[in-house]
Amino acid sequence: MGKPPTQVLVVDDEEDLELLVRQKFRRRIREGDLKFLFAHNGKEALEVLEQNPEVYLVLSDINMPVMDGLTLLGQLADSEQDVQAVIVSAYGDMKNIRIAMNRGAFDFLTKPIDFNDLETTIEKGIKHVQALQIALETRDRLVALNQELEMAREVQMSIQPKALTANEHHDVKAVIIPAKEVGGDLYDFFFIDESRLGLVIADVSGKGVPAALFTTVTRALLRADVSRDYSSPSDCLTLVNDLLCESNPSCIFITLFFGVLDLRTGELSYSNAGHNPPRILKTDSKVEVVPKTGNLVLGIQPGHTYHNKQIELRPGDTLFLYTDGITEAEDSKSEEFTESRLDEKLAELAGTSSERVATEIVDAVQEFVGEAPQSDDITCVAARFLAPLPVPS
Amino acid sequence: MEERSKLSVEAEQSDKATILIVVGRVDGSSVGILESAVQEQIDAGHKTLIFDFQDLSYISSAGLRALLIAARLTQKEGGKALFCALADHIAEIFEISGFNEILDIRATRTDALGAL
Repeated sequence: MGKPPTQVLVVDDEEDLELLVRQKFRRRIREGDLKFLFAHNGKEALEVLEQNPEVYLVLSDINMPVMDGLTLLGQLADSEQDVQAVIVSAYGDMKNIRIAMNRGAFDFLTKPIDFNDLETTIEKGIKHVQALQIALETRDRLVALNQELEMAREVQMSIQPKALTANEHHDVKAVIIPAKEVGGDLYDFFFIDESRLGLVIADVSGKGVPAALFTTVTRALLRADVSRDYSSPSDCLTLVNDLLCESNPSCIFITLFFGVLDLRTGELSYSNAGHNPPRILKTDSKVEVVPKTGNLVLGIQPGHTYHNKQIELRPGDTLFLYTDGITEAEDSKSEEFTESRLDEKLAELAGTSSERVATEIVDAVQEFVGEAPQSDDITCVAARFLAPLPVPS
Repeated sequence: MEERSKLSVEAEQSDKATILIVVGRVDGSSVGILESAVQEQIDAGHKTLIFDFQDLSYISSAGLRALLIAARLTQKEGGKALFCALADHIAEIFEISGFNEILDIRATRTDALGAL
């Protein structure tokens, strides 16, 4: 199957140009390589173009009744159609040729028409038009691709919960300010049973679609594992890691903290796969670093055994999870926000709601960054333990 | 062009290994420079690489991934990758991510060369 013929519209009120074209290009017309359409003035030309949107090249005389060639050029320039025009004028008619070029003509021919010149000019016009077509198609594909990426980002954002309905026992709030590109950060929270609350924060290496897919798969695996048979955060991570490693040729990895808060006791059991250590904000404004479990990021070392640790939250304490989009946010002088600024700001927020902690930290980061471009997702989760759930006797 | 100047990777040949001196920031926008420097050495048949991080100021997760890939590539070729002279804050990134468990890290370049 050959491609459809390139269509060229010839506009002239006299027959000679039409005859010349039909004769000169007869072989290529027969072979279906070129197709010529004809009109006798500018008005007719516009009608032909309207009915034949596949025409991208016009060869037009200047002096014609009803609508002349220069007016036609002006109309083409205003229309939506991407048509390139070659103007035909009397030899030495520089004034009109100039006007035509200024109105966007692609090239010109002079009468009497030279056969070779005509062929070269049409050939050049066709090449130009084809190059433009390719550029336009590429642009359209790019627009479509960008729309799809935008949708992917919306899906990614929409599957993350915004907040749990707070009650007298817990208060959880997350804030994520995604960077321009899809990918990056993940957080999640969910009840494992009526008294245990799962809290997750994660950051994938790299950005873009591969990173986004990896993040989404990780979240799904973790959720599936927890709902099927939950024993401990470390068991979950050990399993999720093995599953991720099974098919990860491009060495993408994800840092992930998974904590489970028992609302009966305030005990937080957790495992940390290479993620920045979260903070505990105590009611007395002390900020404690959640001790490491000394474990590797997920996705690169099959068979790695993850470990658990436990710490106790007192009523009023807030567990604060964050990604390096916070601590490594840069201002216009490439200065980082740093952990010490984070800890300082957290201390000021002791005893306040999770909503306030999360939003004020993000506000502080954004204020610090100022006009500098945001290069990474900014994500945090604040989870406050308020009062123990009664233990059934 | 500023993106390029924030990272440079220079190669120095010794009889036992190629030393890659990494200067500046390795992040998402500059990691390509590090990746091509590694690939260039592998293509040239240099399969033992020592990364000198004395003047590495920052490394993002995209950079860590490039190091992991370098370690795997050299291993596949029958060589290895060592990493030395990490500043404290870089060592901390390696420790938090657990990469210190899976990459061969040495205190100094001399230590790294001695380990070969």
